[in-house]
Amino acid sequence: MFRAAPFRIAVWSVVVFNIIFLGLPTVVIVLASFTAGDLLTFPPEGFSLRWYERLLGMRDFREALGRSLQVALFCTLFAMPSGTLAALAMVRYRIRFARTLQLYFLLPFTVPLVVSGIGMMYVFGDMRVLGSLWPVGLATCAINLPFMIWSVSSAVNRLDPDLENAAANCGATPLQAFFTVTIPALMPGIITGALLMFILALNEFIVSIFLVDASIVTLPVWMYTSIRNIITPDLAAVSVVYILFAIVSIFALDRWVGLDIFLKSK
Amino acid sequence: MQGSNAGRADASPLTRARWRLTDAADTMLSALFPGRARRLTPYIFLIPAFLIVGVIVAGLFYIGDSSLRVLDRSTFLQSEDYSLENYVNIYERAGYRSVLFRTFSGTAIVTITVLLLSFPYAYLMVRTQSSFLRKFLLFNLFLPFFLGQVVRAYGWLIILGQEGLVNGILGQLGLANISVLYTNTAVLIGLIQYMLPFGVLMLAPALTAIDSDIEAASEGLGAKWYQTLWHVVLPLAKPGFVAATVVVFTITLTEFAIPAILGGGTNDYVANAIYDAFFRVSDMGAGSALGVVLIVIGTTLVSVLFALMGTGTVGFLKEDK
Repeated sequence: MFRAAPFRIAVWSVVVFNIIFLGLPTVVIVLASFTAGDLLTFPPEGFSLRWYERLLGMRDFREALGRSLQVALFCTLFAMPSGTLAALAMVRYRIRFARTLQLYFLLPFTVPLVVSGIGMMYVFGDMRVLGSLWPVGLATCAINLPFMIWSVSSAVNRLDPDLENAAANCGATPLQAFFTVTIPALMPGIITGALLMFILALNEFIVSIFLVDASIVTLPVWMYTSIRNIITPDLAAVSVVYILFAIVSIFALDRWVGLDIFLKSK
Repeated sequence: MQGSNAGRADASPLTRARWRLTDAADTMLSALFPGRARRLTPYIFLIPAFLIVGVIVAGLFYIGDSSLRVLDRSTFLQSEDYSLENYVNIYERAGYRSVLFRTFSGTAIVTITVLLLSFPYAYLMVRTQSSFLRKFLLFNLFLPFFLGQVVRAYGWLIILGQEGLVNGILGQLGLANISVLYTNTAVLIGLIQYMLPFGVLMLAPALTAIDSDIEAASEGLGAKWYQTLWHVVLPLAKPGFVAATVVVFTITLTEFAIPAILGGGTNDYVANAIYDAFFRVSDMGAGSALGVVLIVIGTTLVSVLFALMGTGTVGFLKEDK
């Protein structure tokens, strides 16, 4: 099919369009962040690093970035054990109500994020924990948990059950087998899931907006509230910080597990 | 393996400590869960994830409750007794009706466009012989995927703005400015670009599962490329299309940041209306009722799709064949 010329031409034209369409905002943000002018105009007026300098001097920005990193860390710490165990239970064991449980664990995707956000605002408000960062981490973990379970469950699907049996045969106790055989074998899935959870939490906006107040505002919320009608380049510099985080994560993911893992079928 | 215990003699104290710790934990475990209780293992494994998702479920109860209470405009407190007034209001208010219509029609356009754009990208990524091209396509996909809505909406703000890239280029060419920003079109452009990586990532594993020999066999039997595409590849890719549709549809339906930033307040989606009900007019009941309507319509559509087509690659479980 791929050798047919009309199909090739059609595929390639859509792909070239997609490459530009996907990449354009990123490229434009990077270019805009180096402008010397006060306003964002095209073509940019000269080259300077003044917006980065300004950013480093801004306490609001530094604090918001610090909080977002904390939230992302909390989210990852919640997600790694819970998602790994859930994936093992769902895929490895024969459990009752497996289909119903699967629908339950997909709820974070089927419940609209704005609804989840408001609901959790009520829950955490009643628990009197609003105003701390860990509930925001827990909330970002809850809404993205299916990503963690997916990543690990595809690793569980590839895991040969005979490995664990072999460990048991060689005298390993269940816990020894779990920590020295099962977990290392699932590592690619766990790393993928953890990285996804971290980066999604770092960027999380809609749920956070309900759970943070002015004193614990996170970076995406700070950025959103800073967008004005007149577009100034300081937020382009903030965006570049996010772009750097994204690039580092992609290279880490490619190095540790290989990006191709996302192309594999279960 | 018991014979290899000779090696244990020269194990470091740290390793010995670790062995003792594991042994103690094992003893404790077998004391706590003797023999038959082992059957409970998977259910115990599920508890943490169950509780975490439970926070969302608990929130749903609060929202359901709040949606049935009417705001008393003199005290700004919610009423003690239940009524369906908030729901009647959604139905009766033209403002809410038009927001719901804009949201669902916009989501439909975005979902269809994303599916059309995703398939060629995923297909080339999976089928190409060049590992460099595959890496490049993956990188180009993950970079925007790892950037949040706000950053990407900001990028489009720079591109589509009055003094932005598009108008800059048009100006250089001596053409008249266009004002796309703060229109529904701008929102749709932003949403399609936001959802495209999700679409491709859902579709790709399904295409990997299709053996390229099947395509070759179809053509060997004389099928033209479009016949192979229509009768072989697309039907086999169905689980991927189901997954992509569900993910793109549900996320787009509830988008907040992109309609807010690129729509400029005049092209609100339901999520924006819910936010405004809560924080602009402090009518929690109205906001909650809108949320419930969004869940009911969204879940109904997804369930119908699941019932007709199966859960596709969305599920964690292997599909029964």
